[in-house]
Amino acid sequence: MNGGIHIALEDLAFYAMGNLRDEERTRIHAHLQSCSECREELSAISGDLTALAVSVEQHPVPPAARQRFLDSLGTEVQAESVSETAPGVTPFPKPASRTAWLPWTIAAALGIGAAGLGVKVNTLREQLHNQSQLVARAQEESVRSQRVVNLLKSPGAQRATLTAAKTPVEPTGHAIYLADRGELIFQGNNLKRLPQGKAYELWVIPANGTAPLPAGVFVPDQSGDASVVMPPLPPGIAAKAFAITIERAEGSAAPSSTPVMSGVPTQGD
Amino acid sequence: MEKSHPTGWKHQKVSLMTGSPDNPMGLPPRSMSDAPQRQHIRDESEPKESDDSLLQRVSERDQSAMTKLFDRYGGMVYSVALRVLRDAGSAEDLLQEVFFQLWRNPTSFVSSRGSLGAWLLVVARNRAIDILRRRRPMESVDDYPLSSRENLASEVERGAMMQKVRSVLTVLPPEQRNVVELAYFEGLSQTEIADRTGDPLGTVKTRIRLALMSLRKALQA
Repeated sequence: MNGGIHIALEDLAFYAMGNLRDEERTRIHAHLQSCSECREELSAISGDLTALAVSVEQHPVPPAARQRFLDSLGTEVQAESVSETAPGVTPFPKPASRTAWLPWTIAAALGIGAAGLGVKVNTLREQLHNQSQLVARAQEESVRSQRVVNLLKSPGAQRATLTAAKTPVEPTGHAIYLADRGELIFQGNNLKRLPQGKAYELWVIPANGTAPLPAGVFVPDQSGDASVVMPPLPPGIAAKAFAITIERAEGSAAPSSTPVMSGVPTQGD
Repeated sequence: MEKSHPTGWKHQKVSLMTGSPDNPMGLPPRSMSDAPQRQHIRDESEPKESDDSLLQRVSERDQSAMTKLFDRYGGMVYSVALRVLRDAGSAEDLLQEVFFQLWRNPTSFVSSRGSLGAWLLVVARNRAIDILRRRRPMESVDDYPLSSRENLASEVERGAMMQKVRSVLTVLPPEQRNVVELAYFEGLSQTEIADRTGDPLGTVKTRIRLALMSLRKALQA
């Protein structure tokens, strides 16, 4: 019985979302045990809240993530099938007495189990060998990738902007963007120096019309060079343009000034 | 012009020069309701196996059934994880976790409590909030049925639901929408929201109540 007092709608919603302190959650949980009306309302609110999850901007699963899932699933299925193929204990003929067969059964079970373990060990050894080869290849690729990143980010690297003869040197930036994976590399040259407390911020302007995505805050070195390598960006957002604004040193969530540099992609989709 | 990346991906290259662009910044601020409208088109002639049937096959360790469920709901799960965590790598990890949970324990979902799609979304959102707030895994809400009016397995119905919710969020007063977003996508309590926005607790309660009522009304329409 609850005396006709029910849990407020908003409290049920926060209960459903799991955003309550322990004592509050305990109080509502206790009430729900005896109040079918509130249980019904909780069910309805939970459904309504799920609609919020459906409303978010939809992103396709990155193909690499799908492949990773399928690979892991395959490995797991293989491991399961190995354990299933290991022979089990087969039914023994009906014993003459209740105890005489017991030692033989145990011995047979141990023998069969040991054979099964032998099969499993060999399979696991083979899997380990394959995995080791994969790890070695991954390490090689990782070393190479790290060298590329180091080169791009190294302040000691010599940088040059090549222009047509007798062309005045202008600030330039080059962005390479892989929309499917949300990966971006930016290299700026001859950028103007900024006042104290200010920084440049790079923006990806989505082709789907949504707001610009922040793609890295940077300050050029004394030569006016700067780079941004692999800033955190969501995958699957094609760009219609890239732009740079001057923001406060810690960067902004949305551009607060007009762009000082911009450009549109010439390749890709 | 398109160019294929050696890995099979398509990439964009651009040179940035000084000067005024074609007003790339003249865009509305990003928010949930401003997400792009997408038309989901499905070949209706394609036979579509039910969730129950696929789950049954998953419980019989059928890898292809699990792949179908992943393809059916992976995008939804990934999208909500990305919305909460705002990091592609973390969202991918969560995606793997959610679907492996289903593979290893398909009976953790009980169909009498609601649809599989809704359940996966709840699991993904709750786990994402746990990660975001670095707290212990929250108590599961699946002790209670999830009343979901739409069949999320159908892209058409899913699209219609998406439109309904986005429409109602668009017309909600910004302060109401903000409270909903802070609660659902950041996992804040009512007190934390009051602290964050500087509003009295009673005001926060009223706003979330009004927002929920608007949402309910739109979904029932």
